[in-house]
Amino acid sequence: MTEEKRPKLTPKKVEGDRFCIKGTELNGGSCGNPCQIDVKDGKILRSRPLQFNKIYDPASFHPWHMEARGQRFDPPMRTLPSPFAYSYKKRVYSPNRVQYPLKRVDWDPNGERNTDKRGLSLYERISWDEATDIIASELKRIGKQYGPEAVFLQADMHGEGKSVHNAHGAPAKLLSMLGGYTIQMRNMDSWEGWAWGAKHVWGMEPLGQCDLSNVMPDITKNTEMILFWGCDPEVTPLGMTGMMPSQLCYWFKELGIECVFISPDLNYAGGVHADKWIPILPGTDAAMQLAIAYVWLQEGTYDKEYVKTHTFGFDEFRAYVLGQEDGEPKTPEWASGKCGVTPAVIRALARQWAKKRTSIAHGNGGGTIRGPYSTENARLEVCLLGMQGLGKPGVHQFKMIEWVGSMAVPKKGAKLAWWVDDVRPPAGTPMDSPQRFITPLSAEAPMDPDSKVGKLTARHPRAPQQMIAKNLLHDALLNPPVEWYGISSFMGPRSDQFNKYQYPAQGCSEIHMIWTDSPCWTTCWNDSNQFIKGIRQPKIEFILAQHPWMENDCLFADIILPVSTKYEEEDLGYDSTCGAYQTYFYENQCIDPIGESVSDYEVVCEVAKKLGLYEVYSGNTPVPERIELSYECNGVTDMPFEEFKEKQYVVLPTDPDWDKRPTALSEFYADPEKHPLDTPSGKLEFFSQGLHKHFPNDEERPPVPHWIENGVTHSERISSERAEKYPLLMMSNHGRWRMHAQNDDNAWCREAPTCKVKGRDGYFYEPCWLNPEEAKKRGIRHGDIVKVFNERGVVLAGAYVTERLRTGTAYMDHGARYDPIIPGEVDRGGAINTITPHNRTSKNVTGMAVSSFLVEVQKVNDEEMDAWKRINPHAFDKPYDEGAGLCLASWLADPSWLWKEEEK
Amino acid sequence: MSGQKTLLVDIARCSGCYNCQLACKDEHVDNDWRPYSAPQPNVGQFWMKIQEYARGTVPKVKLHYIPLTCAHCEDPGCMAACPAQAIYKREDELVLIDPDKCTGCGACAVACPAGVIYKNEKLGIFQKCTGCAHLADHGEKPRCVDACHSGALKLVDADEARKYAEEGESFVPAEWKPHALYLHIPKLFLAGAVLNQDGSDVVEGVTCRVNGRETVTDGFGDFWFEGLAADTYTLEIRSGSRTLYSRTVELTQSLNLGDIRIDA
Repeated sequence: MTEEKRPKLTPKKVEGDRFCIKGTELNGGSCGNPCQIDVKDGKILRSRPLQFNKIYDPASFHPWHMEARGQRFDPPMRTLPSPFAYSYKKRVYSPNRVQYPLKRVDWDPNGERNTDKRGLSLYERISWDEATDIIASELKRIGKQYGPEAVFLQADMHGEGKSVHNAHGAPAKLLSMLGGYTIQMRNMDSWEGWAWGAKHVWGMEPLGQCDLSNVMPDITKNTEMILFWGCDPEVTPLGMTGMMPSQLCYWFKELGIECVFISPDLNYAGGVHADKWIPILPGTDAAMQLAIAYVWLQEGTYDKEYVKTHTFGFDEFRAYVLGQEDGEPKTPEWASGKCGVTPAVIRALARQWAKKRTSIAHGNGGGTIRGPYSTENARLEVCLLGMQGLGKPGVHQFKMIEWVGSMAVPKKGAKLAWWVDDVRPPAGTPMDSPQRFITPLSAEAPMDPDSKVGKLTARHPRAPQQMIAKNLLHDALLNPPVEWYGISSFMGPRSDQFNKYQYPAQGCSEIHMIWTDSPCWTTCWNDSNQFIKGIRQPKIEFILAQHPWMENDCLFADIILPVSTKYEEEDLGYDSTCGAYQTYFYENQCIDPIGESVSDYEVVCEVAKKLGLYEVYSGNTPVPERIELSYECNGVTDMPFEEFKEKQYVVLPTDPDWDKRPTALSEFYADPEKHPLDTPSGKLEFFSQGLHKHFPNDEERPPVPHWIENGVTHSERISSERAEKYPLLMMSNHGRWRMHAQNDDNAWCREAPTCKVKGRDGYFYEPCWLNPEEAKKRGIRHGDIVKVFNERGVVLAGAYVTERLRTGTAYMDHGARYDPIIPGEVDRGGAINTITPHNRTSKNVTGMAVSSFLVEVQKVNDEEMDAWKRINPHAFDKPYDEGAGLCLASWLADPSWLWKEEEK
Repeated sequence: MSGQKTLLVDIARCSGCYNCQLACKDEHVDNDWRPYSAPQPNVGQFWMKIQEYARGTVPKVKLHYIPLTCAHCEDPGCMAACPAQAIYKREDELVLIDPDKCTGCGACAVACPAGVIYKNEKLGIFQKCTGCAHLADHGEKPRCVDACHSGALKLVDADEARKYAEEGESFVPAEWKPHALYLHIPKLFLAGAVLNQDGSDVVEGVTCRVNGRETVTDGFGDFWFEGLAADTYTLEIRSGSRTLYSRTVELTQSLNLGDIRIDA
């Protein structure tokens, strides 16, 4: 080991007992639900909600409220942090933290690279100096040998909520300065169906989900029934929003609104808020939706006038539903065999819906919106809402994450300067036009004209000339060339879905190096066992990861650089999502960095220094200056920066006229000619003209939304031949105890019985839910170690036998940390995405299908476990933390290298 | 401080978020609040513990959570059982185990049936909820109550607590006079769905009777009788004066009778 050398950018040491403010949301795009963090003796003492009126008179920020049916809802006078916030310090002090630069022991950049050992090799500690020397030299070599596009950058997705030290994107500008790179373009990973399906019915750029303007007051006044369709407001908002959705669910009940939960599982909200649970088989919603339409058509219980004036192509839709197109009327009896809901309940739901003003609630769509053919149920939902007069009082689609505007808002929101990539606008902002397809992270991206930021940082000199659709990365690695439609820009418009792209792009090299600051592909994307095979090929010569925690894709990296958490950094934060009041705040540094970690931005600075590009990359603007300049650009307050630093936060005054803005689609409802939708006809397109024009022969996403039994892309239905071997439909939700891949090492969360199941071998397994009937059939008891498998691989889990799940189904949250027994084949950690479907959502839809797929579940016997132990003894005898589980020591060649307190 | 506070736990308002359990750990793990308490170990102790319960069978299932913690009893059995006189009541009547006097014998944990006292193997002492005595010293709420967003956990004064004396339940003997009262702990339910003879439709608005209680089926044909004690019950489904269906069941746990077909 070479002599330890600290990076020059080591953040300042902190002193004294005090409190800091930190946004605790894990969305990455914003810093929601700020908490007051008490710091004592250089350690985080506790985290509590931030009191809005701690130093301000509430009158100064215009308190607001909602009134409905004689009741009143006042938002709380403080933020509403989630369980992740209260236990955040466990992540900061996690034994899973990457503490210093690491190198894979059997990777030698000047000799044997042993790429096939990735996932099995252990790591050794190296100095920052050595690490950045290797990185700089590899970047130069690879660029020279293959061209700049041989370097692939993965720099998207969720993470800690940061601004100046933004968790993702920091390497982009440096690579751009080196002549370019290949960019990973994120697919619409949690709302596939809306983006690729619903948009073709109602527009609704950029997400394909309904406009949310002031829906909450209208729903609480006028809605009689809410369908929580695959929606869990007690779970999905935890990492994004906090506890406000839970409070609203209690208010819905007090207002007498009937709450119906439609999902294979009795989810966490359903368990406490449901008046009715309709357990449906995973991914079969389209069948039930068609049957509902059938009942309405038969009984004449839909809004015929509205359909005449507000929709396009209803006749074709009716013909399909009634069976005039394919000879198969979509009766409740027809649907029941596919979706597992009895005809009587389907009819009852259809009749209740026709009778009561009904809105549909979503987290983002749940498992059903990210499964095979999810475009179809997404489109059908909009059609059904249309048949009941979408946009009239009480009839909406709404969600309780990313919900800014659905209730009170400030007159003027703040801006967060995203210094690091200084091109990516805050989350939720539509991206650039598709014609300049790689522009979202390019030199041309628009800057705020008021912003001083752009003047001080050099723009990206060259846009990336090549991209890979994130969900097709495994194919790009293993079987190039690959072609696909759309996602040339994240959250790109509907029109981009008709543009075709290819990897390798003309004149560009295949990729030979991967630089990731978001190493979670394994546990969050599709058929990641194939991804693993892809990145173990010799042609991937160098994998560089930068991350705070030793997890998932890090296990395949050749060099890993240690990143600090936000508690170790000084930054700015803006909360627009907690639902009560918006705040803009100064995030002081709470504690000294753990080990030799620095922020993502500072990691790239260190590499830039070795390339002689530091001055240009950083614009010679030190972090404190960046923070001050960002503050000056925030747009909401005239308070001098020093005063702001002292006060630490401001509450953005509510717009006194917030409730005068029109409700969502109310104007379209009132006058569709004057307020058309963003579709070719300006109306709700039951027959999607765009799809008809561009994909006239697509049987998997035809112009009228269909039930797709099986197709060229997927065979994941219970009618499939595969179901004989793999009879259970796997339902995979966003995690109760994780925000995607984040928080799996949180010792306090792992103690909850729904978080992990302790196996008889002492290992904490990811729970696999089974209905008692399915468990009994297989001789499985609660707590048994089981294997979940199909042709794509094996995932071990802990059996969680419960009446909260219907028969015919198994259930596992996505995002558990990968723990390979045989990399690319057998996983002990519960990373269910290793065996999700390989293919895209459907033939022409560049989405992923990571829920609603076929598996079998069996008890693991001792012989099988012993056989795995013989193949990979280390997988079973490595250090394992009783609280956090897998930890840094699990992957170190010599655990005595662990960083100790005295090294400070 | 005059008069002991009571922790009111409204199970009907608990969504099972675990914020109370986690905030408790945030406050006490690694933090030394002597003289009131030594640090809680990283894992294994739950001075505030969320317990999840599921009642019924698919599709008639309900969840509830019980946040379980020390009741800081007026006449605490744990204190009486302690041979080392390590357990004492403060002026504000919070019941505390002195971490420096505790000998680790465990008599307190045996005496208390609520299971809220934990052994700290490393320190060789027993530990439990302190009511965040160190925060109470500054007039602040205990962390669990502070973290509860839904109003399931409330700290009320003696006058307010008296209103719930009848209704409130607890997990320790009544003679200990517990100061944690649980409201709306669900009892058993009897539920089902009523369908027509061929099962093609649910039957809405039909009268269901169980031992003198009456309800009508809802838009999904469902009926629910909540709040039942373990006993024998006879369900009658009636239309006017006609009895269409009758069944007697021995109720030992919440029961979903499933789909019942009637000749409506």
